[in-house]
Amino acid sequence: MKESWKRVIVLTSIVAISVVVLSSIYNITEPEIAKQKEIKFEEMLQSIFPLATDYSEKKGIYEVYSDNKRVGYAFMADGTGYGGDIEILVGVNEDKTIKGIKILKHTETPGLGAKITERGFTDQFGGKSIGDIRLKKEGGKIDAITGATISSSAVVDTVYEKYMEKIKMMEEK
Amino acid sequence: MIKDFTNGIVKVNPIFVLALGLCPTLAISTSIDNAIGMGASVIFVLLFSNLIISLLRNVIPKEVRIPCFIVIIATFVTIVSFALQAYLPALNESLGIYVPLITVNCIILGRAEAFASKNPVSRSVLDALGIGLGFTLSLIMISIIRELLGSGGISVFGYGFTLPFSPATFFIMPAGAFLVMGLLLGLFKKVGVIR
Repeated sequence: MKESWKRVIVLTSIVAISVVVLSSIYNITEPEIAKQKEIKFEEMLQSIFPLATDYSEKKGIYEVYSDNKRVGYAFMADGTGYGGDIEILVGVNEDKTIKGIKILKHTETPGLGAKITERGFTDQFGGKSIGDIRLKKEGGKIDAITGATISSSAVVDTVYEKYMEKIKMMEEK
Repeated sequence: MIKDFTNGIVKVNPIFVLALGLCPTLAISTSIDNAIGMGASVIFVLLFSNLIISLLRNVIPKEVRIPCFIVIIATFVTIVSFALQAYLPALNESLGIYVPLITVNCIILGRAEAFASKNPVSRSVLDALGIGLGFTLSLIMISIIRELLGSGGISVFGYGFTLPFSPATFFIMPAGAFLVMGLLLGLFKKVGVIR
């Protein structure tokens, strides 16, 4: 009886100490982690909208301003690629054409699917109207990456689907 | 006592002799930066888990030792993970899922079980440093070859060079990892560095 209590007490104490240590470290690093995420997001937004000076967010739609004048919108699009989740930041012009896209997160194969982050691929989206956001073999205007058709079409489909979801909300603004 | 340190680098090298921790080894040895980052993370976790487990070796009842070890290891892994996210976000991104997976890296649990839980603190610390360094050096060796051939150049923290021919992407793919590791292991056996 005594032995079994010892097991419970030791394991519980180790877990308790671990919880205390981790929660204090979380408190120290959390603001820094949040800051890093924000910095990254702003960098990405800036690279889509080079003239952007400010932005505001409402229900997942970001309105982008340049000197207090609205220059476009942005939203996050989540989809699934070949290797896992893909997170894309999509910039939209005032006239509802695509301004540009940036891949924020992905786990595609290095050297193949991972090329979706390269400008050679993402730059194709700039200036296109939504109807053209299809792979060329499906009648659109986007070239797939050689050897990475699944990753390419995942990006295209994700952008297309989320655009369709969000376009209503953008029009209301 | 110095043997405890040097053993980990050659005689019981975690990758080439014990063949432990191969999942992260194969996955992240695509670039030297990743190898250094992963190696440093593993050294940190291994050092502190060995230290704490060695300190508590007479307190932890043997029936619950595995859950105790895992909680201790997971605590340090989580600390590494928070620190990477906060201060080295780029490295954190390229190491990805393999940072949290250090928790179940069999090198660390293996050293806790086979060494730290049976030996005094000073020897356990030396063992952790030796094994950790052995892991890191092996990782760097594999990643030098893979990065050189697969990405067509070497780049360490932004410094490096590129080769004048187009890279063989094969080497940064998973199959290339197996091949490079296998060839290195064979080579080391052939020249008698390891048994």
